[in-house]
Amino acid sequence: MRKVKFLPVAMCLPILAACNRHQSTLAPFGEEADKVRSIAIVLVVGSVILAAGLALLMRHAMRAPEGRLTHKGGMKLVLWLGGIGPSILLLGLLLYALPAMRPIPVADTDLRIGVEGEQFWWRVRYAPPGGPLVESANELRLPVGRTVELSLRGTDVIHSFWVPGLAGKMDMIPGRTNRLIVRATKAGTYRGVCAEFCGLGHALMAFDVVAMEPAAFERWLAAQARPATPTASPGARLFASYGCSGCHSVRGIGPVAKIGPDLTHFGSRATLAAGVLPMTHANIAGFVRDPGKTKPGVRMPAFPQMSAAEADQIASYLQGLK
Amino acid sequence: MTTESTPYVAPDQNDPAVRKGQEDRLREVWKPPSGWFFRWTDVNNNRIGVWYTLTAFGFMLFAGVLALIMRTQLAVPNNDLVTANTFNQLFTLHGSMMMFLFAVPMFEAVSIILLPQLLGARDLPFPRLSGFGYWSFLIGGVFVSGSIFFDAAPDGGWFMYPPLTTRTDLSGLGADIWMLGLSFIEVSSVAAAVELIVGVLKCRPPGMRLNLMPLYAWYILVVAVMILFAFPPLIAGDVLFEMERLLNWPFFNAEKGGDPLLWQHLFWIFGHPEVYIVFLPSIALFAMLIPTFAQRHLLGYPWIVLAAVGTAFLSFGLWVHHMFTTGLPKISLAFFAAASEAVAIPTGVQIFVFIATLWAGNVKKSTPLLYASGSLAVFVIGGLTGVMVAVAPFDWQAHDTYFIVAHLHYVLIGGTLLPLFAGLYYYWPLVTGKKLSDRLGRIAFWIMFVGMNLTFFPMHLSGLLGMPRRVFTYPEELGIGGLNLASTAGSYLFALGVLIVCIDLALSPRRPKAPRNPWNAGTLEWLALPDDEDWGIRSVPLIESRYPIWDQKNFVQKVDEGRFFLPDAEEMRRESIITTVLDARPLQVIRLGTPSVKPMMTAVALAGVFILTTYHLYLLSALSGIATLACVLWWLWTGTAEIPEKPTKHIGHGIEVPLYTSGPSAPGWWAMFITMMADATAFSGLVFGYFFFWTIHTNFPPTGAGLDGPGVFWPMVALALTLTGWAATVGAREVHRRGNVAAGRALLVVGIVTTLSSLFAGLAGPWVSGMDPELHVYPAIVWTLAIWTAVHAAIGVIMQTYTLARSLAGKMTPVYDADLRNITVYHHFLALTGIVTFCTIGLFPGVA
Amino acid sequence: MTTSKDNRKHWARDLKVTLWTLILPPTIWAVHFMFCYLWVAVTCAKSPTPGTALNGFPLATLIATIVALLGIVAAGYIARVQSQTPGDPAPHDEGTAIDRLRFLALSTRLLAGLSFVAVIFTALPVIVFGDCR
Repeated sequence: MRKVKFLPVAMCLPILAACNRHQSTLAPFGEEADKVRSIAIVLVVGSVILAAGLALLMRHAMRAPEGRLTHKGGMKLVLWLGGIGPSILLLGLLLYALPAMRPIPVADTDLRIGVEGEQFWWRVRYAPPGGPLVESANELRLPVGRTVELSLRGTDVIHSFWVPGLAGKMDMIPGRTNRLIVRATKAGTYRGVCAEFCGLGHALMAFDVVAMEPAAFERWLAAQARPATPTASPGARLFASYGCSGCHSVRGIGPVAKIGPDLTHFGSRATLAAGVLPMTHANIAGFVRDPGKTKPGVRMPAFPQMSAAEADQIASYLQGLK
Repeated sequence: MTTESTPYVAPDQNDPAVRKGQEDRLREVWKPPSGWFFRWTDVNNNRIGVWYTLTAFGFMLFAGVLALIMRTQLAVPNNDLVTANTFNQLFTLHGSMMMFLFAVPMFEAVSIILLPQLLGARDLPFPRLSGFGYWSFLIGGVFVSGSIFFDAAPDGGWFMYPPLTTRTDLSGLGADIWMLGLSFIEVSSVAAAVELIVGVLKCRPPGMRLNLMPLYAWYILVVAVMILFAFPPLIAGDVLFEMERLLNWPFFNAEKGGDPLLWQHLFWIFGHPEVYIVFLPSIALFAMLIPTFAQRHLLGYPWIVLAAVGTAFLSFGLWVHHMFTTGLPKISLAFFAAASEAVAIPTGVQIFVFIATLWAGNVKKSTPLLYASGSLAVFVIGGLTGVMVAVAPFDWQAHDTYFIVAHLHYVLIGGTLLPLFAGLYYYWPLVTGKKLSDRLGRIAFWIMFVGMNLTFFPMHLSGLLGMPRRVFTYPEELGIGGLNLASTAGSYLFALGVLIVCIDLALSPRRPKAPRNPWNAGTLEWLALPDDEDWGIRSVPLIESRYPIWDQKNFVQKVDEGRFFLPDAEEMRRESIITTVLDARPLQVIRLGTPSVKPMMTAVALAGVFILTTYHLYLLSALSGIATLACVLWWLWTGTAEIPEKPTKHIGHGIEVPLYTSGPSAPGWWAMFITMMADATAFSGLVFGYFFFWTIHTNFPPTGAGLDGPGVFWPMVALALTLTGWAATVGAREVHRRGNVAAGRALLVVGIVTTLSSLFAGLAGPWVSGMDPELHVYPAIVWTLAIWTAVHAAIGVIMQTYTLARSLAGKMTPVYDADLRNITVYHHFLALTGIVTFCTIGLFPGVA
Repeated sequence: MTTSKDNRKHWARDLKVTLWTLILPPTIWAVHFMFCYLWVAVTCAKSPTPGTALNGFPLATLIATIVALLGIVAAGYIARVQSQTPGDPAPHDEGTAIDRLRFLALSTRLLAGLSFVAVIFTALPVIVFGDCR
């Protein structure tokens, strides 16, 4: 047993070295995730010690000659190692772990961000204290060192908001508003995913998380609050004529539409299709014509009648919405 | 109780001719039916148990193949072997089948084989119920698992969270197949649990007091009781779920006042005990085989009882740990985290009991013991990660990731699958008379053990590195391709191990017979001969030890020579002894059900109700329901509460016991009582729903057109009528018992009329106020409670009418009155249901 | 119960340990657990804001916990007295009424121990949390 148990661990070491740093509970960039990692280390070390001790004891028991342990001795073993020992150990574990469940305190002046999970993307609304409401999608930006309260809702089915490096996950349940209070500690680009099975596209429902220095964040938020600059590009016309603006808002250019993601500053995001594809011209053009090919179950219809050239023009227009 | 005319002369067991005559009669009585069709009407536990086991094993292999396809898809990032749609069906069916079609039925199947042997009984108390359970299981299982060949399998995950699964625009037929197909199987699981409980409590051999009961029987008792309380909340959930899908009653629809979380509560109140329901029977197998291979009594018998009962209780206080991330108040989560840690204590106790027994004993190395110790090692790892995820903050990260996939497979493979293989190698000689190959068994074990660890150990890491569960693919940039490839390789290795076991099984018919009791075990089941007779046990022994074969002098010989109880079948009937619960004193000899086509027909008819409803064929479904009712009545009328030809019977050693009892000493009364406990639990799930909605709404009940409650008048009228019906039934039992048959019948008629009136009065409340169940969850839940109670009143009326008919047909007399006593138990519960329902819907709005 | 003139007899020995008394201690745990959980669940579900304080809950938990622990200790004490009914020493594996009684009593005692620990575990969260967040 011992031989085999550690084999996978040994095998994983080289693989671990190559592991990602932006969607991992082992590479935290938030206070909550950091706290959990410390707990995890304690738990893992404790478990390994207990498992090894049990394995040794079992080996000893199997090899001991008959009658080495009397009935009375056996009862003592069960009482102390099976009953009293674990009770004390678990009591200690509870006293250690329960306080870690307390949420970070939050004040009225802290930034609030609403995130809504929909099949299969994320609606994000920033509500800075005293400032205007700013809507975006599939990307979450956070000021480093500031407490942020996330209000999480599911609009159609249950989703779960999970940024492994930031904090534990929290479900987004229709009819309920869940709060998750986080504080980023390290600037950088990270990734979050939907953790509750939500249908066909569940595996492809991710988003980017960018933790920024507070000043940079303020500037970015101000830019996001501004509407897009109207252009007369052919892509903009096609966007309207294919009915895209029936679902997607481009503030300042088209009508207000609430069905699909807000695209006002689409070009400024790093990925498209909810964290699935890098934001390249070709990817946009391909996705616009046949989104279902990349993302099964997507609500956006395919446009088989759209020519490649038209898709190109729409892609150029969208990529220009910085 | 002595017959005065001819003094009874006990048979001379020393005379071989007498013994030969007894054996011939027993053989004739227990002869299995023959013929290409009628052989399947057998109800003997030997055969039903084997069919049941093989079927569950087959479903396990099928679900395993589904897992292999999934692992192949996940071998490399961005793979496109199967579509997202197929993948979702694969993991939903894999989980659902392993839980509902393998783990739970397998435990029941093994128990159907083993329990009568362990208890020295000729069969379980209700053999036909076993048959009914098997056929229900087979039909339901094939229906659910076969759906994948039509691309119609359920695809919402084995937990089926609404609203994804209740919205008919987001989920298709698969959700109905899951809900109705598995409800059908849940019903048969509860039926089997009733039988096992009665079996353990009432069918023990004389002298087998509670402190001498084989530990397997203790575990079966505990697990069956857990099934009784765990499955009904899910059945209640299923009812609400299908009402939403088929009738648009918005229980889980937040826009109309419903709440998806209600389903999660009901599901996990079932789902967490379920884990222990499939784990404890495996520990029970250990508790049988470890003493055998340590060649000594198990050390710490009361500790095992403590562990089993303690686990059973604590496991009902854990359900919210599956809901740690649903945003409930942290303090609520903390209660469940605390209980989740506490449940580790009894589990640890069991492990140390086994270690202590092996330590004190003289360990004989063997293949079953290898499997047992290997599975303990695997289980310990799963248990330790279980303690980890019970720590809520850690679970917030680990929940719904591959870490949990790893944890649950360590628990279930270490706690269910490998122990079952241990049991397979241990008990194969008991069932077939032949041993399996020790060499192939060891090879298969090591391959499975390595494969299992290679598959699931890396998953701990892939989970912590950000891989969520139930994803059909994952991006390369996550850097978990290597870990996943290792898991896939491991899964094929594991499958190879299972294949070797299957080959070993296939080679078994060519192997020679093993000696009797090949492991030199001490417990009763090993009395079985390699060429087993269908009568189960030659004579029912008097038990004076936990390990009678080891400890009681000339025990095997005395059993074989018919020197104990009931060595004969003078009246050519299948018989078994009923004893008292605590001290196993003989109470009665019961006549057991013989092979019959009725259980199978009932199962087919009931299957029709569930399957036809799936396809919205309501008329045919209703006809099927009527056919089911007819089958059940026919079955009961012809096969139960039969008035015996003589009041008592000698079972040997000067003991004479009645052939008919009624009331609390009869197994039928217990079966009714236990069934109604399950029924009351399901009902409490619905009542929980009502009060759950009250807590989440600030104004509940709401007001408005179609929303106004049922008022006070009609519910109170219904309550009064229900209680009158109850009083009439109880009164009928009392006057009838005292010999006044006419008054008893008259009171039954009063009972029928009032109970029937209560049915209509109960529905009149919501009907008269025009409550529209599609509008809001409040009218929906009120209607549900009212309909539940009305359906139960209808069943009560059928029972009263049936009993009246029995009396008129001369099948029930003041002495032989089991029917009347049993339906009185039902009416106690009906009165309780009426009180709760009508007070809730009628009076609670006044105080809310 | 305590008026027995016979000093060798103990009042607790007259009570019958059965399968029902066996499950008494864990049942007390279950009632205590449901009391704590339902109080919190109903208060918090009914409260308009997550920060609502659980007034009175710590005191209620304290009282409930003391009552539950007393009940479990009482059950354990009775079981202890019964498990010391004269007879042969452990293991209680003889087919006699005394051994059956002593086995049930010992199991009840062990369950009382487990339930005692579990009740304390259940009461712990109230030290850490005071509101519905």
